Parts: sequence; C-alpha cells; structure tokens
Amino acid sequence: MGNNMQFLLSGLSIGGVYALVALGFSMMWSVARAANFTHGDIFMLGGVLTVAMFAAGLPLWAAAPLALVIAMVAAAAIERFLVRPFNKEANAIGWMLTTIAIGVMIESFATATYGPLPRPLPSPLAAEPIFVAGAGVFPQELLLPAVAVLAMLALYVFQRYTRTGQAIRAVATNRVAAGLMGIDADRITMFVFAAAGGLGALAGLLIAPVIQATTTMGLLIGLKSFMIAIISGITNPAGVVAVAIAFGVAERFIEGYLSTSARDAFGFTLMILVLLAFPQGIFGRKEVSKV
Amino acid sequence: MSAPILQVSGLRVAYGPITAVDGVDLEVGRGEFVGIIGSNGAGKSSTMRAVAGVLAPVGGSIHFDGTEVAGRKSHEMVAMGLAMVPEGRMIFGDQTVRENLMLGAYTRLARRDPDVVDDLEEVLELFPRLRERLDQLGGSLSGGEQQMLAVARGLLSRPKLLVVDELSLGLAPKILDLLFPILAKLNAGGLSILLVEQMASYALAVTQRTYVMENGRIRFSGPSADLARDDRVLDAYLGRRHDA
Repeated sequence: MGNNMQFLLSGLSIGGVYALVALGFSMMWSVARAANFTHGDIFMLGGVLTVAMFAAGLPLWAAAPLALVIAMVAAAAIERFLVRPFNKEANAIGWMLTTIAIGVMIESFATATYGPLPRPLPSPLAAEPIFVAGAGVFPQELLLPAVAVLAMLALYVFQRYTRTGQAIRAVATNRVAAGLMGIDADRITMFVFAAAGGLGALAGLLIAPVIQATTTMGLLIGLKSFMIAIISGITNPAGVVAVAIAFGVAERFIEGYLSTSARDAFGFTLMILVLLAFPQGIFGRKEVSKV
Repeated sequence: MSAPILQVSGLRVAYGPITAVDGVDLEVGRGEFVGIIGSNGAGKSSTMRAVAGVLAPVGGSIHFDGTEVAGRKSHEMVAMGLAMVPEGRMIFGDQTVRENLMLGAYTRLARRDPDVVDDLEEVLELFPRLRERLDQLGGSLSGGEQQMLAVARGLLSRPKLLVVDELSLGLAPKILDLLFPILAKLNAGGLSILLVEQMASYALAVTQRTYVMENGRIRFSGPSADLARDDRVLDAYLGRRHDA
C-alpha cells in the first residue's frame, strides 16, 4: 500500500517531466509539421545551465530565469537555421537529420564543459519530504505535474483568447491561408519553437533538484516524450499531458514490481502496442481537409 | 490617368522543371474589374499565387501600387493592400465565422485600426447569412457560405486590389447568381478586382476586360463584352458546338 503510493507519487513527478517536454513537441509539430529533436537537450540545458550558473555564484532566482531565456533563444535559433531551411517541401525530413546532429553536439559540448558527473541543485522545495499515506515525497516532485497541467491550460487560454494565439491556430490549420491573412507564418513558427523550448527547459530546471542534473539526462527523456506525443495524438495538448502523466506512473509501477532494467522494455513495448491499436494516437484525429 | 494598381510583365512561374507560367503580361487599372479565363492547367492559378506572394516567380516583374513586389511573401502583400480569396476557399474550419473574419483583419488589428468594427458590420450587411452563423465553426458552413466567408474575410483587410481565384469552384448556379453580382457591386463601389475563373460565361458577364490564358501564356485579351462574342472564346470556353 505504502509502496503503491510511493510509485504513484514519483510516477506523477516523472510524468510531469514527460508532459512538459511532450507538450513542446506537440506545439512544434502543430505549426511546422516538424520538430526540434534537440528538444531533449534543451530540457537538459534548463537543468544544467541553472546548476552551472548557480555554482558560478549567481543566486537561484537569477540563474533559473537566465537558463530559461538561453534555452528559448537556442530553440528559436535552431528553428531558424536548422529546421526552417530543411522543411521547405511537403514531407521534408532534412530537419530530422540536422536537429539530431546538433543535439549530439550540444550534449558533447555540455559534457566537455560541465563534466560527466551529476551535480545537485538545492531547492527549498526539495529539502524536507512530506508524507502522503505513508509515502515520502518532495514538494518539488509534485510541482512538476502541477506545472504541466497549468502550462497546458495556459496554452489553451493563450491560443483561444489572444491575437497571436489565434494566429498560431491559423498557421497550424493552413500555412498558406494564414499568410493570406497577413500572418507571418515563419515568425509564428519561431515563436512557438522558442515557447516549446522554454517549457522543456522549465521541466529540466524543476526536476534538477530531485534527480541531480547531468548532461546526458536529455536523451532518453526527449525520445520518450516524442513517442508519448505521437501515441497520444500529437496535436491534442490535453491528450498529450494526460498520456504523459499516465505513462510516467506506469513506468514507476513497472520499476517497482519488476526492475529498473525492465522499465524501458515494457514501456516501449506498451507504446508500440498503443500505436498499433490507435494509428492516429489515442486522442488524435485523422487530418482531413475540406475542399 | 493614374498608374495601374497591378502591372505584371514577363511573369514566369515554375514548379521544379515544369514551367506553369511562361511570360505573362497583364495589368489591372485602378477601379477596374479584370478577368482571366482559361481551361484547367492553363496557369491561371499559378499566376495568381505569384501575384499574391504565395509562391516566388522565377522571372518577370510584378508592380503593385507603384512598388516592385515580385518575390515578396503573401503576408507582406496583405499589409500592402492585396487580398486574395484562394482557390478552395481555405476557411479555418476549427475557428468560428467571427474568428475567421477577425483573421481577415489581422494586419489591421495589429496596428489597432479602429475602423475594423464598422467594416465588419459592412461585410455582414453584404452577406447576411454570415451574421446568422457568426458563432458557428467555419467547417460547419456549406460550400456557398464558406465562399461568402472567404470573400468577406478578404475584404476585411481593406484591400486596394482583391484577387479572387476560382469563385465558382464546386458551387451551385444558384449561389453563383448571388456571388457574382456582389463582386460587381464591390467593383462599382471602387474596388479593383482581378478574377480568375473557369466558368467563362460568369466571368465575362461581370468583368470589364478579360485575358484568355492557355498553356502558361496569354493568348489574347480585350473588353469582356467583345470576347463574349468572339468565335475563339465561344468555341473553346462557352461550349458552342460545330454542328455540321
């Protein structure tokens, strides 16, 4: 009983990480029909940059926002120089190659400068665990799913009620038509990539006090989050967040009842089965265009 | 005589190795209603897309409102005063009619143009059907209503030139009898219009001048009233038969 509660709580935490990162994939895919495969590394930078700048003497309140800004600028630059030029034709896949390549470089560079070892980040919310039904959890861990749900709601409100948000929806529906409305679809796309990068980096810096930040933490998280986005129907933000959190919880139960090494084998198998059953993703819709 | 609102010369458009538009010259005077007719694949829509900035021409020049604009992007053209009602209408199906209309006024809302509200009222007078459906999703409208929305949306950018690509596509004659007179009325109010149309009879009836396109070139042109009696047009586009 106490164990199950423990699995649930830590599952919610890792699920929150997947949700924030996967939400970014969903946003990018919606406007560009492409994604930034360095997104896992942007997530890593959120944590690693905060730790590095904090270690260099910056107070946390300055280091964290600065890390977010750097990650967002990096994400915008990646869109401009590594995705846009390689996504000109319908069904282009050049952006995949360029972003995977630069992702490897980012990780190598980070390891060379930051070091290969995990480094801790102190947080007032990760100092004293609280106990829920006999299971101990840091408030910091519960922050993640809460922030993920808030981010999803904020995204919804933004897209629904602001002019820029409406333009984002228009670009997602039909880029050409959006251009004919006077919307600069390229600028909107860059903006969305930057915002997605910001969410990914936010997940990285929020989880850093719990797991200790390493330069390799982005690879698997990025990959899994992309798969989660796909199996949940990538253009449905609420669906993405729900599936991500559920997947995080499922992983922890597999870890708890079987082993850590069984986790990914079972997790990935589960994803493949879901995709077989729902080719458009669980909450996805077939893309239809009315002529 | 003021300079034409649109002057295209030597326009060439290609899709990879395939040339779709091969040296087109045309112009639209201020306040004029000009048509381009021609069969499917003649290069009409490619010409329109180049003019509206949807695709970049490989050669030639496009003068709009006194400025060379060849190669400019469509969002810049909208800001300059060129609105296009695209082929297939391209309504944002997951947004309401009101939201679609507001997207039409996007560049004006960005610069906080206070006249948008009045203009919205004006286009709703023109298309009362849209007023009844303001809060419905664009995707739930009939084809005819979507075309009304596409035209209304174009008007809300307050264009100097309205480019309409295949107004009749997939629509019933009853709807066309409603839509073409509205374009004529807008033109009578001073709006310059360039209309691309496969239904030659409708286009010839409302426009002042017409260009006939074939195989990526302008074959001939003239006052629409004359072309409506021209043997070449009657045979090829108005379906006159040679009964022996």
